[in-house]
Amino acid sequence: MIFCGVVEEQSTIHQIMKSSRIFFIIIALIAGISMGLAYGWLIDPVDFFDLTPDTLRADYKTDYVLMTAEAYRTEQDPGLAARRLAIFGSQSPSAIASQGLNYARANGFADSDIALIQELVTALQAWSGIQ
Amino acid sequence: MKRFPFDILISLLLGLGLGLAYAWAISPLRVVDADPIALRTDFKDAYRSAIAASYAATGNLPRAEARLALLGDANSLDTLNSQAQRLIASGEFAQADLVVALAIALEDGTTLVAAPTSTTDNATIIVKESTATLPPPPPDLPFQFTETPQPIDTQVIETQAVINTATPRPTRTLIPTVGAPFALIAQDTVCDATLPDGLLQVLIFNSSRRQIAGARIIITWANGEEQFFTGLKPEIGNGYADYSMSPNTTYTVLLASGSDIASELTAPTCQTPSGETFLGGIKLTFQQP
Repeated sequence: MIFCGVVEEQSTIHQIMKSSRIFFIIIALIAGISMGLAYGWLIDPVDFFDLTPDTLRADYKTDYVLMTAEAYRTEQDPGLAARRLAIFGSQSPSAIASQGLNYARANGFADSDIALIQELVTALQAWSGIQ
Repeated sequence: MKRFPFDILISLLLGLGLGLAYAWAISPLRVVDADPIALRTDFKDAYRSAIAASYAATGNLPRAEARLALLGDANSLDTLNSQAQRLIASGEFAQADLVVALAIALEDGTTLVAAPTSTTDNATIIVKESTATLPPPPPDLPFQFTETPQPIDTQVIETQAVINTATPRPTRTLIPTVGAPFALIAQDTVCDATLPDGLLQVLIFNSSRRQIAGARIIITWANGEEQFFTGLKPEIGNGYADYSMSPNTTYTVLLASGSDIASELTAPTCQTPSGETFLGGIKLTFQQP
């Protein structure tokens, strides 16, 4: 009887140890995944290069629209302006210019710059209608 | 003796691997709010072309320089010259001209001057610098935009007897002054039997004695005209271009951006030490004063 009791006790201890080991393995796995995600997303995220202009920050996009507007003021060629804006992807040139205009208005661009972009937007909208 | 928990260590490493794979490959951070420096090369070229077009329109060199700085080129001048050559090679001459003009301006530090249109009489003299303004920079923008953020109209007004009390408003009309016309500073006959027959060599320098790539050269003769460009043989020099002249033809050469005219150019007849004759060449050197 005593022998049976010892065996049962050992078996129980073994089961407890086994389940706690599985518990620690799962904890270690979760900890590893967490560390991997933290490292990959926060500490050393993927370096990006060779990006397309649609990923540019809004102020850079708007500055590009402004450059296009400045050139348009002199060139008066909406087709050329549209081609310049086409680097931003599938949106229509007038929509891209309009977004730039909205950003410029919301972020206190100089009135003269806003006027230039407005002129470009108007020209591109008219040009889009002709196309 | 307690056994080392290899199984836990392996789990940890496995988890780490899974986490990194997910973070780097399966679901990397989405790219938003990128800087122009991260753009692909061809998009950087487009960005530079837009800067050049904007500069040609506004003449605001500091703003163009600030924008070029965003692209992180080691040497903006060389990059612009290279781009001009690529544009020429692809037949986009108008764009190349704009890029070259910006390169020349960067080299010379040329600023374009607003032409004041004063409504006052001569008693009031107004000196106004470029009126173009920069967009307001975002708070974390790590470049020079932040240094010149707002419109600064520098007005030096010498008041003697101001008759008209209305505030004079200079117009936005900006006159590009890329530089003075190029002067023909040397015209030499070249008798070198190792060179191709009738070779017309052209070298173009700016006022700082640096060679200029992408300069358009117009050559005309009795019943024809052609154009060629500097910078297509960078191994000889960025400001070098050549043209093969035909015998007994008289040519005239000038630079498209404005220069002295080299006229009455005919391939000379030269002689080798052994007495053989061959068609020599001419070397023209232009420089901005």
